[in-house]
Amino acid sequence: MKSAPVPLFLIEAVAFLMIIGETYFFFGVVVPLGPVPHNLETYTGYAGLKLLLTFGLGVSWFLVMLALTRLYVRTRLRHRTPKPSS
Amino acid sequence: MPPFRSYLIRSGRVVDDVHKRPVTKVPTPGGPVVALGAVVGELAVFLLTGSLVPVAVGSAAAIAFAVGIYDDLKVLGGLTKPLLLVLAGVPLVLLYLVQPTLYNPVLTFPFLGDTAPHLTIYTILALAAFPIVANAFNMMDSFNGQISWFSLLVSLAVLFGVSLRTWYAGNAAPAQVASVLPLVGISLGFLVFNRYPSRVFDGDSGSLTFGAMFAALAVTCGVEIAAIVAIVPAILNSFYTLTSVRGFVERRKMTARPTYIGEDGRLYATDEPHTPNTLIRLILLDGPLDERQLVNSLLSLTVFACILSATISFMTWVL
Repeated sequence: MKSAPVPLFLIEAVAFLMIIGETYFFFGVVVPLGPVPHNLETYTGYAGLKLLLTFGLGVSWFLVMLALTRLYVRTRLRHRTPKPSS
Repeated sequence: MPPFRSYLIRSGRVVDDVHKRPVTKVPTPGGPVVALGAVVGELAVFLLTGSLVPVAVGSAAAIAFAVGIYDDLKVLGGLTKPLLLVLAGVPLVLLYLVQPTLYNPVLTFPFLGDTAPHLTIYTILALAAFPIVANAFNMMDSFNGQISWFSLLVSLAVLFGVSLRTWYAGNAAPAQVASVLPLVGISLGFLVFNRYPSRVFDGDSGSLTFGAMFAALAVTCGVEIAAIVAIVPAILNSFYTLTSVRGFVERRKMTARPTYIGEDGRLYATDEPHTPNTLIRLILLDGPLDERQLVNSLLSLTVFACILSATISFMTWVL
């Protein structure tokens, strides 16, 4: 059976670890953040912090995956030999 | 499937298998048979167990099929399809109102245990999961046997997780294990006709049905983490495509192709800078492959993800 290139397994493993870690952080830390006080300003502050942390989790996964993929693509293209035209 | 395949050929519903040299004609869509198998299977589980889990899974399959068959016949917009697929999760939420044990709004992690229950957030994420997962399955449907192998492997990973949860942790019912079996069965049955060289393609009606069933099973069986891990290759594939084309674009409307077929009949990665970076292209950057080698290569990533998923399930429910 033809296997995929090893770096893709590594990218997959990083994606897996980040999904597990970030999901736990989201449900274990971000969602229960509080308790929500009866003060509107503090309430808004907590809500804003939750949104910021959620956005941060998404962006960090996005950036890490993008960086790893770009590194992989750049490395592969550098080592490629000329191929038949399409 | 054979009578329906003959009907598709007779009615001229065939498409080019563009990855073959010379190009061959393949009947499509085989989705109606896939969806029929899913609904009948889940109905049988419901009649045997009386549980609402197969009702939620079967309803999700039926709605996703309806969206898919419309897309096969008329072609939906890039953004319309994901929005309509949210409807596949609606029966799940409605059934939860009838039976509040249908799903548990917590996630269970290895060693760390359960998170606190968060019904609103969990339900919103569960609804969002249907278009995300169904589209991820749809994007894994490009080559002979790719979607059927993928669906079979990830459904086996979920079956393993649900079985462990039932027998070791004791907080799942045998009905939940039984609800996974129709997905395993239709994936295996469809593989017979879809493997290389394909005798039928499933179309969007088939791939969306597979995806919606998988999402519904992950939620109702309480194995969300194991399910997400199993489909990491599909998540990455969607991520690559969406970031490359910068948004939801119907794949038939993509102008730049990520791969092409060389004169030797093998598949090559395109060198153009603005080409969508699909998972297939990333594999082919390592060198050209024929279609069978490419699908095997992709499946090796799925097998790896399923092993990680099984490890997570073992660590969560046994240790």
